[in-house]
Amino acid sequence: MSELLEIKTLTVRYRTKDGFVTALDSVSLGIGENEMLALVGESGCGKTTLGLSIVSLLPPASSEVVNGSVTYKGTNLLMLEEKRKKAYRGTEIAMIFQEPLTCLNPVYRVGDQMAEAIMVKRARKEGRGQMHGTVMQRVYDRRAAVDTRFLRRGHGLPAQLRDEIVEWLTLVRIGDPEQVLNRYPFELSGGMTQRVMIAMALSEEPSLLIADEPTTALDVTTQAQVLKLMAELMKRVNTSILLITHDLAVASQVADRVMVMYAGELAEVGEVHQLFAEPLHPYTKGLLRCIPTGTKDDSELAPIPGSIPDLRQLPLGCNFAPRCPYVFERCRSDRPHLFPREGGREVACFLYDE
Amino acid sequence: MSDSPLLRTVDLRKYFPVRKGLSLLSKTAQKYVRAVDGISITIPEGKTLGVVGESGCGKTTLALTIAMLTPPTGGEVYFDGKRIDSGRVDHKSVYREMQVVFQDPDSSLDPHMTIGESIGEPLSGLLGYGGAEVRTALEESLVAVGMPAGFANRLPRQLSGGQKQRAAIARAISLHPKLVILDEPTSALDASVQAQILKLLVELQRKFQLSYLLITHNIAVAKYLSDTLAVMYAGKIVERGPTLSVIQRPRHPYTIALINSAPVPDPWKRNLLQMEIRGEVPSAINPPPGCRFNPRCPYAEGVCSVEDPPLLEIEASREAACHFVDKTAVQVKSE
Amino acid sequence: MGRNREAKIGAVIVAVFLLTAIVVGIATALGITVTPYGPVQTDTGPKLAPPSLSHLFGTDLLGRDVFSRIIVATPNDVSVGVGVVAFALVVGLIIGSIAALKGGLLDELLMRFTDVVFALPALVIAMVIAVALGPGVTNMMIALMIIWWPPHARLARGEALKVSHQNYIRSARLAGMGTWKIIFRHVIPNIFVIMLVYATLDVGTVILVYAGLSYLGLSVKPPAPDWGEMVSAFQDYLITAPWLPIVPGLIISIGVIGFSLLGDGIRDALEAG
Repeated sequence: MSELLEIKTLTVRYRTKDGFVTALDSVSLGIGENEMLALVGESGCGKTTLGLSIVSLLPPASSEVVNGSVTYKGTNLLMLEEKRKKAYRGTEIAMIFQEPLTCLNPVYRVGDQMAEAIMVKRARKEGRGQMHGTVMQRVYDRRAAVDTRFLRRGHGLPAQLRDEIVEWLTLVRIGDPEQVLNRYPFELSGGMTQRVMIAMALSEEPSLLIADEPTTALDVTTQAQVLKLMAELMKRVNTSILLITHDLAVASQVADRVMVMYAGELAEVGEVHQLFAEPLHPYTKGLLRCIPTGTKDDSELAPIPGSIPDLRQLPLGCNFAPRCPYVFERCRSDRPHLFPREGGREVACFLYDE
Repeated sequence: MSDSPLLRTVDLRKYFPVRKGLSLLSKTAQKYVRAVDGISITIPEGKTLGVVGESGCGKTTLALTIAMLTPPTGGEVYFDGKRIDSGRVDHKSVYREMQVVFQDPDSSLDPHMTIGESIGEPLSGLLGYGGAEVRTALEESLVAVGMPAGFANRLPRQLSGGQKQRAAIARAISLHPKLVILDEPTSALDASVQAQILKLLVELQRKFQLSYLLITHNIAVAKYLSDTLAVMYAGKIVERGPTLSVIQRPRHPYTIALINSAPVPDPWKRNLLQMEIRGEVPSAINPPPGCRFNPRCPYAEGVCSVEDPPLLEIEASREAACHFVDKTAVQVKSE
Repeated sequence: MGRNREAKIGAVIVAVFLLTAIVVGIATALGITVTPYGPVQTDTGPKLAPPSLSHLFGTDLLGRDVFSRIIVATPNDVSVGVGVVAFALVVGLIIGSIAALKGGLLDELLMRFTDVVFALPALVIAMVIAVALGPGVTNMMIALMIIWWPPHARLARGEALKVSHQNYIRSARLAGMGTWKIIFRHVIPNIFVIMLVYATLDVGTVILVYAGLSYLGLSVKPPAPDWGEMVSAFQDYLITAPWLPIVPGLIISIGVIGFSLLGDGIRDALEAG
């Protein structure tokens, strides 16, 4: 399968007052077309950094890409200059975040912001003008170099645009899209704003959508609705989704493949059913055992002893060695890399080094 | 062990007035947010009642009202046989037997005080312990929650989220209360830390014969910790019963939706993708007339938008508030 | 880092001012002279002499050494600046915390009272005090203390409200603590630093206002030296003997800048740490 996105040995570090902290250590992964890949890990494992690295939205002053490449449809995005990177953001690769309200401009109506997104797409398709990001990216607020006269007061949306917007809003299951078009972001509920974000992201018909904890701030029932929506839309719009989440259960419900991260490195990669049927990496096993499924009387919760390591003081060998029940000599002195297994599975653990 | 429950509320209500407009002479009636709208629960000694619901359902307000941190608008609260909802209650004597663990470990501890000082607060404030007594009890609590006694001198910012939550639990149990109210105790924690805390809570319950009132939106956590489960929606309890029974055979349409929405770590059981629920949580100021769930309910019929169904027993020790609860009798969620 | 350097400059300026004020204060109390010439000593040199080695800031029309007068006048502005702000800080802390924690009617009353006092014009109050109690440094300090605290109270109330929603306040109630104890043990320690930053920044403003009052003659009576008064007395000499009005004005400005930089520095240090 031709890879849509291929990340090779990506290493990213942050500058802190205590020195450099390596957030991503030689991470390599690939995302194919039309697949939902879940990137799972606890706080500090680097999953958000990975997402931001793909779209080059890391904070420029404090972060540094030390090594590696992010190849999208054959082009290494990291080597592009800023102007060309912008051409990809939002149009080829879109991103949605945990708090949708921080991604929408509060002083413009929802319909107007969506219209802007659609016009950027059209401009790009027609090869017109300079590509700038749209309001959905947190760092960005430049306008597309397109006709935005309607955004000034007094002008309504041109009919054709309006229809397209209504279509998108309906697609994301927003009841009463005509009404919502005219609303301001703060008037909508969390679930609705996230759906608007998805609509905006997908209206540019990106090939890859990065969703960073998109449902963490939502209620359980709303989360289910949004996840279901994302899974369905993926097929219809022909997009791949990189779903970043801390919740293994969520990953099991919607993902095709799962990648487990620990302290800046990939621990395990595999097709979802295989991974859950037979988790290989001790961390994955531990994480699965942490999820309560029964009651206190009939089940034993087996928490992983110890705690997530401080990224500033990582152990010498395998990052997980101090907490691993299967640890042996080699684990404390050498660092494992991803060892391939059958069926496209990979594990970064010496137990599997043949 | 007495027969009467440790905690009992009768038709407890907490309404928040919504600010009126600028005009003092405005004729519009005072509107209220009916956060807790007629809740009657009981918690026996040594048992856990789990109250599950989504944001805005009023579960946190319920916890705060029971803990006397906000006065109720109506109804009664009985703790250990005595009424505690009036203004004239001796708070200190109640707090010696009832404590709370809050959701956010960052805001539970005063950033300027060592955790030893924070944990010692109820010991000196409620039991009048002096320095030496505080130190002994403090050490005991820290050990009980699995933290080294030396941590007493640390400031909150030197601790991880899990450690802070342990400190908050240590403070709550340091006086050996009878009831601990847990308001989303693990929602802000990572999966591995959450497991540690849940296990700790079970151990503490067994060790100290604690009763828990567990407030959470997480079904899996509620299932793990609770003996009885109550489902809250828009200020009311819509279903209640023994935990496993409610989870395996939910009867109220909202409970069904809630349980089906909870992601289970099993890629062969993708219930998430099968469930259907429309709409959003209703406005707390203008709840829909009749049953509050009716706009979103797949089984709703005429009477549902007119009359609010009472919480009735539908079978042995199971209650549900639904006009058409027989329609859900066939919904058996396989385990 | 630029900010760091500015904060250090501010700290140095403030330290110099404070030290001078303290030294002069003690010296005056003990009757010792620490300046090259006495502040009211006339004919120490040629009249209206420009700055020189023997007279760092020159002399005024009565032959008094300007440098000595500036030094001796330091306690006035510094004590008023620090004193008024300290008073405002304490009063603000107490009123703001009580209003935030108690809420309800008490909150309304305290805040409306704060609004009323806030509306009082500094100048008018100062003049009223000058008429009622007479002019002078202490009386001007009193006048400013009366009206200076409302913004501090508002700030305290805002910050205290934020703190009051924290769960450790609820935990304190669950530990049997009464409102007063909560205010002193939990609220004030947590809002104190922000109040201190604002207070430090505020000292400069007080100094400016006091200098203005002194310029209008409401403070000291000549021949006692005071910076604002000196600016007023010498403003006609701006062309002929410019050092006379400029130097005291400059000193006032440096003092204000010093406190501002220090306040900024403390705030930046907090945000980074």
